[in-house]
Amino acid sequence: MTVEQVATGGPGGGTVGRALAPLRQVRTLTATIYLLLSMFVGLTWHVILAVGLTVGVGTLIIWVGVFVLALTLLAWRGGAWLERRWVGAMLGVQIPDPYRPLPDGSLWRRARVLAGDPATWKDLAYLVVLFPLGLIWFVVTTTVWTLALGLLTAPLWYWIPADGAVALFEDGDRSILVLDTLPEAILAGVVGAALCVAAAWVVRGMAIAHGAVALALLGPSQNQLQARVEALQASRDRAVDSAEAERRRIERDLHDGAQQRLVALAMDLGMARAKLETDPAAATALVGEAHEEAKRALAELRDLARGIHPAVLADRGLDAAISALAARSPVPVGIDVATGRLPDPVESAAYFVVAEALTNAAKHAQAAEISVRIARHRDLLIVEVIDDGAGGADPARGTGLRGLADRVAAVDGHLTVTSPPGGPTVIRAELPCGS
Amino acid sequence: MRVVIAEDSVLLREGLARLLADGGVEVVAQVGDGPGLVAAVDAYRPDLAVVDVRMPPSHTDEGLRAALEVRERSPGTAILVLSQYVEERYATDLLAGGAQGVGYLLKDRVADVGEFLAAVHRVGDGGAAIDPEVVAQLLGRRRRADPLATLSPRELDVLSLMAEGRSNAAIADRLVVTEGAVEKHISSIFTKLGLPAAPSDHRRVLAVLTYLRA
Repeated sequence: MTVEQVATGGPGGGTVGRALAPLRQVRTLTATIYLLLSMFVGLTWHVILAVGLTVGVGTLIIWVGVFVLALTLLAWRGGAWLERRWVGAMLGVQIPDPYRPLPDGSLWRRARVLAGDPATWKDLAYLVVLFPLGLIWFVVTTTVWTLALGLLTAPLWYWIPADGAVALFEDGDRSILVLDTLPEAILAGVVGAALCVAAAWVVRGMAIAHGAVALALLGPSQNQLQARVEALQASRDRAVDSAEAERRRIERDLHDGAQQRLVALAMDLGMARAKLETDPAAATALVGEAHEEAKRALAELRDLARGIHPAVLADRGLDAAISALAARSPVPVGIDVATGRLPDPVESAAYFVVAEALTNAAKHAQAAEISVRIARHRDLLIVEVIDDGAGGADPARGTGLRGLADRVAAVDGHLTVTSPPGGPTVIRAELPCGS
Repeated sequence: MRVVIAEDSVLLREGLARLLADGGVEVVAQVGDGPGLVAAVDAYRPDLAVVDVRMPPSHTDEGLRAALEVRERSPGTAILVLSQYVEERYATDLLAGGAQGVGYLLKDRVADVGEFLAAVHRVGDGGAAIDPEVVAQLLGRRRRADPLATLSPRELDVLSLMAEGRSNAAIADRLVVTEGAVEKHISSIFTKLGLPAAPSDHRRVLAVLTYLRA
């Protein structure tokens, strides 16, 4: 878009320059190609859909139809997917895929989500209207361009035939408009040039109209966009809140922990200094205490820093960081991490999901064994922590799980907690991790 | 013993140098980053390099990578890596080339001057010094049904101290038992875990660590 606007400011400038702009732009050519082809693409889909749907419905009784219908559905979703990219490339209208994410699990579950997704049916509607629309685009495009180019090149044709006359708009034997003098031919050329400009504008107008139809039927709906904006807003608010709470926690930990220990240490050293001359034995004992206090302060600071962001995660990634977590867990943990390095926020979210889940399992669930599974499934990182403990974990009550849900939402992920009384508890996070 | 120190915090670097000098160790060079360490080792051929893991420019595991490079270029130089955090994974990298003249300790251990100097001498003499926290991580990882469960609590203590790289005498000293008792525990551990008897201390460390990591 911006590129095109820059182009209109080129040589010629002003109103004339702007009027001529579509003629100079590649977009006019690609749009023309798109408009000419759309009828054939639409026709193809009409045939595929007509055959697929009638054969499918017709054979529904003998179950084959289910299979045929499913294939047809997949085919038109694929067609719509292609069409989005094709419209993006040729008309410059970028349309995001509006599909609901497909769940794991049985074919049946996935088929239900596919068929229940409004986007699937809007895809179908688009492919159905593509043919009639394409027909209009084809007729108008061919007409305006042949007329414009025909007239524009009239002066050339004038020289070629032996009798020096060009017949335009023949109606049977009778020619309605015949160019038989040179001035007439030149005049036709000028009119043709003007028509070329008009044709370019008409083509661009149709391209915009088609882009709007495609965006409406192939793109995410207003409701979807609205819902997404609201969900993002809410998760951002919670992320800000939880970051704030996190900062307060860190301040409190520093204040109650390391800072108090350093105060005690300074006090011990101060007293030792005072007693150095008068009571060397007491001074030695105090220095010893100060030494112990300093080591404890160091250990506390180290734990605190690890809680904020573990260095091993940044250096070596999830596998190493999760191994370290598991090694510190009082409950035996089985680990299966099948992924390489991922974007920092994703690794971080996955790490804290596991960290919090391990802490919960050990503290509240009295689990005897925990298993951690991390794997990449297409564009999603799936993190699962399963323990064999008492169950009954409720994200609505515990702040830990709630905070976790926010942390996951902040990277656009999704957290589910399944924890029936008596267990097992399954904490599962799905984190989008790009492609 | 001649030592090179690589540590970016000046405060800690000077402190370490003083501590080592007080302990009768000659500090031949002090540097503040990875490339500096490699150059200093090339120039001085010291017996030992004491290296901080986090150093400029990347502030990640710069020091560890420099240490591995030093190991390759100058096998005669022992390496003692100090870190704000100890993680089993770094230990694995460091020990990939063997446990001879390798140390990996939490920075806090410097505070126990006597213990620290002992570790410096042990590593400089070709021994090993593995932080108790790494050993605890390794032991903690294997609590499912495995042969470690057949060890007595005392044998587990001995195993941990072995994994840290201590000699029989040091283990006996720590547990307040005789060296003979330690030897008995060790042969019992090796039998229970199905490990072949190792002739030297550093081979023994490697055998134990390899077993714990597997």
